[in-house]
Order: sequence, then structure tokens, then C-alpha cells
Amino acid sequence: MSRTAARPGHGHAVTDRVAARRLAAPARRFLLGRKRTLLGLAALSAAESVQTFLGGYGVARALDDGFLRADTATGLLWLALAVGVILLGAPVTRGVFALLADLTEPLRDALVRRAVMNALRKATAPGGSVDGTAVSRLTSQTEIARDSFAGLVLTARSFLFVATGAAVGLLSLAPQFLLIVLPPLLLGVTLFAMSLLPMARAQHRYLDADEVIARHAQGVRTALRDIIACGTQDAAAAQGRLDVGEAAAAARSMARWAAVRTLAVAVAGQLPVLLLLVCTPWLLRQGVSAGALAGALTYLLQALLPALHSLMTVLGAAGARLLVVLGRLTEPYPDTAVAPPAGSGPGPRTGRAAVELRGVRVSFGSRARPVLDGLDLSVAEGEHLAVVGPSGIGKSTLLQVVAGTLAPSEGAVRLAGHPLVPAPPTDLTGLRTLLPQDAYVFTGTLRDNLRYLSPQAPRAAVEETVRALELEPLVARVGGLDATLTPRTLSQGERQLIALGRAHLSPAPVLLLDEATSHLDPSAEAVAERALAARPGTLVVVAHRLSSALRAHRVLALDGTHARSGTHEELLARSALYRDLVGHWHGTGR
Amino acid sequence: MTRLERAERPRGLRQRDEERRDQGQPAAKPRDEGRREKGRTAPASGGDSLLRGTVRHTWFIAAVLGFCSTAAAGCALAVPAVIGHALDLMLDRRPGAGPWLALSAVLLAGEVILEAARVLLSQLANARATAWVRIRALTGLLGGPLERAASYSPGDVAARLCVNAADSGAAPAALATIVSSLLAPVGALVALALIDPWTAAVFLAGVPLLLLLLRAFARHSSDSVGRYQRVQADIAARLAEALEGARTVAAAGTVGREARRVLAPLDELALHGRRMWTVHGRAVAHSGVLLPLLVTAVLAVGGVRVSQGALSVGELLAASRYAALAAGVGGVASPLGALVRARSAARRTAELADLEPMPHGREVLPADGTGALELRGVGVVRGGVPVLTDVTLEVPGGATAAVVGRSGSGKSSLAAVAGRLEDPDVGQVLLDGIPLPHVVRSDLRACVAYAFARPEFPGGTVAEAVAAGAVPTSGEQVRHAAALAHADGFVRLLPQGYGTPLDQVPLSGGERQRLGLARAFVRRGRLTVLDDATSSLDTATERQVELALSRSSFSGTRLVVAHRVSTAARADLVIWLEAGRVRRVAPHGELWRDPDYRAVFAPEPGPQKPAGPYPAHPARTAPDAPDRVPAPDPSRSTGAAPPSRTGWSPAALAERRGRGTGR
Repeated sequence: MSRTAARPGHGHAVTDRVAARRLAAPARRFLLGRKRTLLGLAALSAAESVQTFLGGYGVARALDDGFLRADTATGLLWLALAVGVILLGAPVTRGVFALLADLTEPLRDALVRRAVMNALRKATAPGGSVDGTAVSRLTSQTEIARDSFAGLVLTARSFLFVATGAAVGLLSLAPQFLLIVLPPLLLGVTLFAMSLLPMARAQHRYLDADEVIARHAQGVRTALRDIIACGTQDAAAAQGRLDVGEAAAAARSMARWAAVRTLAVAVAGQLPVLLLLVCTPWLLRQGVSAGALAGALTYLLQALLPALHSLMTVLGAAGARLLVVLGRLTEPYPDTAVAPPAGSGPGPRTGRAAVELRGVRVSFGSRARPVLDGLDLSVAEGEHLAVVGPSGIGKSTLLQVVAGTLAPSEGAVRLAGHPLVPAPPTDLTGLRTLLPQDAYVFTGTLRDNLRYLSPQAPRAAVEETVRALELEPLVARVGGLDATLTPRTLSQGERQLIALGRAHLSPAPVLLLDEATSHLDPSAEAVAERALAARPGTLVVVAHRLSSALRAHRVLALDGTHARSGTHEELLARSALYRDLVGHWHGTGR
Repeated sequence: MTRLERAERPRGLRQRDEERRDQGQPAAKPRDEGRREKGRTAPASGGDSLLRGTVRHTWFIAAVLGFCSTAAAGCALAVPAVIGHALDLMLDRRPGAGPWLALSAVLLAGEVILEAARVLLSQLANARATAWVRIRALTGLLGGPLERAASYSPGDVAARLCVNAADSGAAPAALATIVSSLLAPVGALVALALIDPWTAAVFLAGVPLLLLLLRAFARHSSDSVGRYQRVQADIAARLAEALEGARTVAAAGTVGREARRVLAPLDELALHGRRMWTVHGRAVAHSGVLLPLLVTAVLAVGGVRVSQGALSVGELLAASRYAALAAGVGGVASPLGALVRARSAARRTAELADLEPMPHGREVLPADGTGALELRGVGVVRGGVPVLTDVTLEVPGGATAAVVGRSGSGKSSLAAVAGRLEDPDVGQVLLDGIPLPHVVRSDLRACVAYAFARPEFPGGTVAEAVAAGAVPTSGEQVRHAAALAHADGFVRLLPQGYGTPLDQVPLSGGERQRLGLARAFVRRGRLTVLDDATSSLDTATERQVELALSRSSFSGTRLVVAHRVSTAARADLVIWLEAGRVRRVAPHGELWRDPDYRAVFAPEPGPQKPAGPYPAHPARTAPDAPDRVPAPDPSRSTGAAPPSRTGWSPAALAERRGRGTGR
């Protein structure tokens, strides 16, 4: 679970750089598509430049033209002008935030959309798995991205326009100021820029370590009973100590870089103040006034230093976090998840069988023993076939191959006459319906849930399905066909009934049930299977009980990699495995 | 962003924390009561003691940090006055500016270096304290009794170990810097008053406005944040639902439709999101105006004093700088807030850290023991409800005992106390005559093996999961145990066989169960407890596993929680539980005559009758013949008349009978 506690920082630099490169193009597209918003932001921010400019310039003029000449009125007038601009700043700030929403909300929407699509595709890919972190990505990570992005936009914009205002102000007070202020400022910014990458690396390492701890904690709690039963507390604690140690080491490395960042801010922000002081005699000789000196110090201490400080803090923390989170959220779609490119609609059908398998072999991984090997099977149109076999023998795998959701390693598969190998036709839903054991019910009306596979089904057809599957008690219990279902409150049996109703309504000629009646009692199972068998078309059932096998025209017994098929009586005579299964089903009343 | 973080996100987090705490608290109370009832010494508990621990653990860093931050504040306070004086000297072209310039250089350098040290030390203190809190919480969780840990969900534990522990770990640094964070603004105000009392008066007049505005903000924002979070949770719930139905979605090819359904509330989310920014923008606009206004007001008053000749330019500059420093009084909110957060977070983390460890004795089980299990007056109460009451029974060494009863009759609790996963509230459990709490932990876990209906594996490869804790285990032993549990077959199908990491392969419930069984078998314990551990296996596989267990060199006692009548029939004796009490302990054959006993196995829904083939062979389940579970005999399972509705043909029956015991 948490084996990767100590990963070299080098890897993060590479992944960060790769992520940055991958993000560059979409980021440019995102920003270029919002030129109007960016221009609006720039226009509003220009007002901030004016405020900064007057902040220092007003002080200089107020002193030189007013207070130092005992002309109080002029001095106060200059300050009043500065106050006016400050007051104007309030609506400007509100405008900035309104425009900010035009950047952050679309970003969040895009990220949420991507996270949802990614999770769904990963989960529905052949052999795919449900990503346990998908929901956390959706909520916490998109929020981190949104907040970090907003912070970056705000501080970067603010720094840019404050610096511009201050630079213009310094230049207009005395051009010499720029000579003194710019070199240390540039030095500090360079120092900071150089520390950005290692800082991002430390951040990345820290976020990773935190996730590892979370996973370990979650895993320990989930498996606590088993850990106690096996007496492996010490191993779990030792692993936890390693993870915690790695997080602490990452935090220490972040602390060092934060100290470097503080020094960089000081070089950029405080060093100019000192230089200005040291150069004061020279400046005075050059004819720079007292007011101008006061104005310059005001620019440095009240405007530039705070703006620098927040920019560097945000860039150092939020910037790295944004890069990491965006990199994770925008990982490329899993290739396997994409629908096959064949693009062929159902081609002309060849052959009469509803399902036809020739020499099918399935194995997961090249070294692994095959699950199915050399399997031949032909199911005639209208036939009812039951598949039986011990747990884990490959019944579900067989059904997935037939349904076209799993490509066999070798062999030919035809479904309703259409070849599924090398690539299944795009519209499989029209050919077959596959019901897995875990029935899916979503929050929506019962009617919509039943029409899931045939959204256009008329009312009469839905009612016919309710009658045929004897769903009336369920309909009554949930409050009618148009009542909204809360999946959590339904029993597994009720969920399976809804899924079976779905299959009954589906127009597909082949129905594949993978233990889809496992939570029903035998009589409800009989009703459902009879109703589905009465439908025109072919029915293949992975049987869960003997009664289910007995209802079929033919039984396929899977045993290891070979299979035997025949009627119930034939198999009793020929297959020891079948006899054994039947015996146990009987003996336990299942 | 700093403001953003302080104002918006932590509030959301805090809200979530409070919700969690609300959920956690009702569960916490009975635990505390239980502790008192048992009369054991309660450990010095609670969040505050945990925080005191963090301070003790980081006292040196914290002390240096306190010194650095105070000194940095002192430098920051001295700088404006010294610079102002130096400036005045130079402006007036008076001599003696040199030493003052040197002093400002020293002070500025000092401030910078001390500030960097403050940043470094406070984060180092956080890292050290957080690590200490995390390890304490994890150790508490791992050492605590299972039933106490049960009330914390995995996600909750992760939150307590990550967010909450980090918040708790911030306490020492916050404590160390709280004085200095007050020192700067208060000192600045004093300096302001010293330079010119009027400037200080103007500043003080503006402060109430500042506070009012900050309060107005706090009221508005939480509302839109709450709505935003609700819509977000809705989208997350829809996604979780769709992911649960992934197989159906995949088969139906409805990914696009599902994505639209999940994303339907996105517009509403954006709406609330915009409202959040608006509220936030209003607050920032207000505070963004107020601070410059205060400073300008101080400048104006100072300017008037300059024109009166009462103030120099350098002093005016110093005054405006002091006004800005004094306005930073809000900065104290940051360590204060961190402390408040640390306290509430520590309360949550301390719940784990203070879980009372399960005590173990020093005795070793007798080497010649056969695994005789004895329960004396055992009672278990969970959540105020008696789960087991006065259970007294004996299972002879080497015997197989089935535990049967309707759901809720206490079967799993009996299984849990039998091998000391949990301790009973009253009574004693003895293995080979020794009370389980007296046994040293390593020996207890080496001698008692468990398998569960839903086993969990804390990571690693398949081989590591099977070998867990059993020392020393060779690959051969692992494969042998897996073969006994019928897991070898599917493990060989995995991409890397036994070396496959478990988190990379989706295992079905039946496959997990078989790995869980293998994990129990590898230990060859003198007591093996199977708690519904074969429920996902088909009956044929279950039978083979049971046979393997009884046939191989296992000499130990087996306690099997069973739902299937066949399992009970094959056991030497059956422990029949009813509502937490032992109704009877006897061989299955004897019990079968009791209609109440037969009713235990009746399928609750559906009309099918319980098929009871075994009463015909009572001799086969005699309790005094532990090792005589018969060879595989399919005919036994069909011995009684099968339900006629399945269409079982007499010919087939005859054929099966004729096959006899061959296999």
C-alpha cells in the first residue's frame, strides 16, 4: 500500500517538467479563449497602478510643495487626491473578483468534467478498475486547483501593476532612484526564480508523502481486524513510521526552501531601502528633494515589499500545488478506454447462430495461465443456455467475451452473426444486453431506470414489463413508476429486479445474465427467468442454482479450461463436475 | 491567496471538521463510560494533553523560535526610527549619520536573518510535532482494542492522521510566535504615540471600523460556501453511484449519458461559485481600502505637524511605517487561529492516540496443547446492547465446532472473543487452560488463525498477504496453503502470479475469501476460527476446502461460523446460539430433531424447504471422533428426498446413488 515512501526528489523534477510541458498547450488555449476577461482584468488593474503611483508621488508632493513649506492646505490637497484614488479602489477590487470568477469557474468546470470522464472511462474500460481516488479528485483536488489558480492570478496581477506604478513613480520623482532600486530587485527575483523548481519538488514530495500517509491510515483501519488477527501490528506501525518520517523529511526540505524564499524577498525588498539610505548624500547632491526621498521610501516599504512578499509566498506554495494537482487531474485518458476505432456499424450478418465462439483463449498477462482455452461454443437463435461451474472458473469472463466487452487473446467470436474480433461494432447495445451480478440503479425515476437500455420505450411496454416480472409490489413500495429512487434504500434483490426489468424492455436479440438473480429467492428467480425466456431472442444465464440450470434448454459446464455442454440429463451422465455441482446444490437447498 | 486561504478554505475545512466531530462524539461517550465501568485507569486523555506533549517534544526548537521571532519583531520595530533619524541627519546635512546608517544596516540584516530563521524554525517545529502526533495516533489505533476502533471509518482515520495531525502539530510554533506577533503591532502603536500622540489618536479612531468590516465578511461568506459544498457533494455522490454500476455502464455503452447525468448540477455549482467570489471580493475591497486610508490619515496629521515644525521628515516617514505595522494587528489572528484549530484538531487526533492498548500477558501456551477452547460466563455488550450473554462452553482440542444461529444471534462476536480479536466485558476465554489475556501477543497470534467473510489485506503482494505475520514462511508453504484454500489456481492466472501486488488486481469476493483462507491455513494454528469464511464459495469448492483442512496435518481446533447446513452436519459439535445465549451444544444429528434448530437454516425468503439430509447419519457426527469427517461423498448431500419442483428425475437419483462414494 505504501511501499513508495522514499522516492528520490529527482523523479518529481522530471514529472513536474513533463506535467508543465503537457499543460502548456491547454493552458495557452484556455487563456487565449478568455482574452476579453484578461483585458478587463488588465484595465482594472491599471487603476491599481494609479493608486500605487499616487501613494508615493502624493507623499512627495505633499511634503515638498506643502508641509515642508508650511503650506498645509496644498499638502492636505495632495493627500486628499491619494485618498480619492484609494476610495475608487473598492469598486475596482470588486470588479477584479467578478472577472476572476470568469477564469476560475470555467477552469473548475473543465477540471470536474475531465475528472468525471476520466473516472467513468477508467471504470468502464475492458479490465478497468474503479479508481478509489476519483471522488477525492473531483472534490478536494479541483478545489485546490481553483483556489491556487485564483491566488496566482490575483497576486501576479497585483505585483505586476503595483511594480509598474512604483516604477513610474520612482522615475518621475528622480530617475536615479531606478538605478539604485532595480539591481537588488532583479537580484532577489532571480534568486527566487532559481529556487522555484526545487521548491516545487519539495512541495510535490510533501503532497505525495501526505497521500501515502492517508492511504496507509485508511488501509490500516480497513484491515485493522485482520492486522490484529495476524499479529502484524508491528509491521504496520513500522511502515507507518517510515511514511511519517518521509513526510517530516519532506516538510523539513520545504522549510529550508521557505527560508531561502524569505531571503530572496529580503534581497528584493529590503536591500533597496538600505542602498537608498546609503546613497542619500549623493542623491541630495544631485538635487533630489526630501519629499522625493520620502516618496521613494514609501514606494519601497508600503507598496513593493508587501506585493513581493505575497507574490513569492503564493508562487512558492500555491504555484507548485497547482502544477501538481493539474498534472494529476489532466493525466491522459487511458488508451484502452477509448472505443475501438473500427467505426463499423453492424456489418452484414453471416451465419445463423446467435452466439458463436471458435478456439477462444483468454489470459490476463503473458505469463498467466489462460482462463479459457480453445473454447468452442454455438448458441442457436432462441435457445436458452445455462452456464455452470465452480467459483472463479471463468463464467463471467466467458460472458464478457460474448458481450464484446473483453477481447479474447485468440479465437473468433460472433454475436448475432457479427464478428467481434478484431474489433466489435460500435453499437453493441443493439445486439445484446449484459446484466452483471451487481445491479446498477441510479438516482432517478423507476421508469427511467427501467428504460435505461431503451430510452424510447412506450408506457405500455414498461407496464407490460412490470406485469411480466411481477414488479407491482416494488412499484407500490417505492411510490409508483415516476417516484425518484434512492438506490441506498433498495435491497440487492430489488436492484436486481430493476435490472432484470431493464433487460426485459431491451430490444437486443441476445440477453446475457451473469448471476443477475443471485439475490432473488427461487420463486422470484423463476418468474424472472421465465419472463425473459418468453421474450423473443436468445438467453444465456450463468446459473446460481440448480433450478436455474434445469429451466435451460442446454447446460454448459465449465471446468478449468475445458467445457462440456448438453442437456441436464446428458451432463449428469457425462460430467463428473456437473454431478458434483448438482449434488451440492441439492444438498444445501440452494 | 493568503487571504483567500485564511478566509475561505479553512472555513470549509473547519466546517467539515465540526461535522465529523459531531458524528464522532456520540460514539466517543459510551467509550469513555465503558472505560470507567471497567475501573481501569484512564490515561491522561484529551486534546490538550496531546498538545502539551507536542510542546514537550519540540521545546528546544520552540524556545529558539520564540527568541528569533521576538528578536525579529524588535528589529522590525527599531528599523523605522533608526532609518528616520539617519535620514533626518542627512537631510539636514548634519554630521554623524554614519553610525546610524551602520546601525540600520545591522538592524535590517538582523531582521531579515531572524525572519528567515523564524520561517525555518516554525516549519521545522511543525514537522517534528506533526510526525510525533501521527505516530502516537497510529500506535494508538494499532494497539487499541478492535471494538473501540470500530466507530472510526477509514476515511475518518485518514483525516485524523493527515489534516488533524498537521493542525495539531502547528501548536508549538503558534504558541512560540503568538507573543512576537502581538509585540510588533503593540510596539508600533507605542512608537507612534512616542513620535507624536496625535498620529496615534487618529490611528486608534480608525481601528473599530476595521473590526466591524471583518465581522460583516465572516457572516456572509459561510452561507455561499455551504451551498457550494452541498452541490459539490451532490456531484461526487452521483459519480460514486455511476462508478458502482461501472460494469452495467460499460456493457450498455452509456458512458456519455452517465457523464451528463453526473455533471448536471455543474451549472448550479458555477452559480454558487460566482456568488462566493462576489462576497469575497466585497470583503477584500473593504479591507483593501481601510488599511491605506488609515496610513494616509496618519500621514495627513503628521504632515500638519511637520508644517508646524513639530515633526521632521524622518519622523513622519517612521510614523507612516509604524501605522502600517500597527495595522498588522490582524496578524495575531494567524497564530491564534492556528492554536484554536490545533485544539479542536488535537481533540480528534487524541481520540485515536488515547485508545487504551490491549494488554497482553507474558505466558506461553503449553507446548503439548491440542487447542482446547473454553468459555466461562462470557458476556459482550456493544453500544449498550448485550450481544453475548453468559456463554459457557467447551470445545475439545482438535474438534471442529460449528457456530449456528440466525443473523444477529452473536455468532461473529463469539468468533471474535474466541481468538481474542476482542475481549469480553465479563467472563473468561481459555485456550489450553490459559486465559487468553495472559498469553504473550506473539504466541497468541502464532497459535490462533482467523479467516473472515470479507478479508482485508493491508497491501503488498499476494504472497506477502498470505504469509502475513506468520514467521517464518517459505514460498512453498504459501503455495501449499493457497492450494489448500483453492486459491492457487486463480493466483497462477494473475499477471505476476504470487508476486502480483494486490492493489493492481481486482479480486472477486470469492477470490478474496480464498486468499483469506490461505492466510489462515499458512499458520497451522492450534485454533482456527472461520467466521463465515466460505460464504462466497460455491458449495463444491467449500466442501473441498473443508476436507483439505480436516485431512491435512492440521491438528488444531476449528471454530466455524456457518450458514449452510452441510457445514454444521460435518462438524463434531454444533454451538447453537439464540439471541446471544447458547441454546444447546450438541452434534448436528441430535439437534436436527428439534424443529427450532431446523428453522435456523430455513431460507428466510422464498418457499423452499430446508433440505436436511444428515439426520440419517447421526453416528458420523459423533463429537468424540474429531478426525473422522468422511471422505468426499456426493451421495450424502442428496440422501434426502430432493425438492420435487426442481424436476429432479428418479433415474438421475438412482444413477447418483449407484455411484456410491467414488469420486
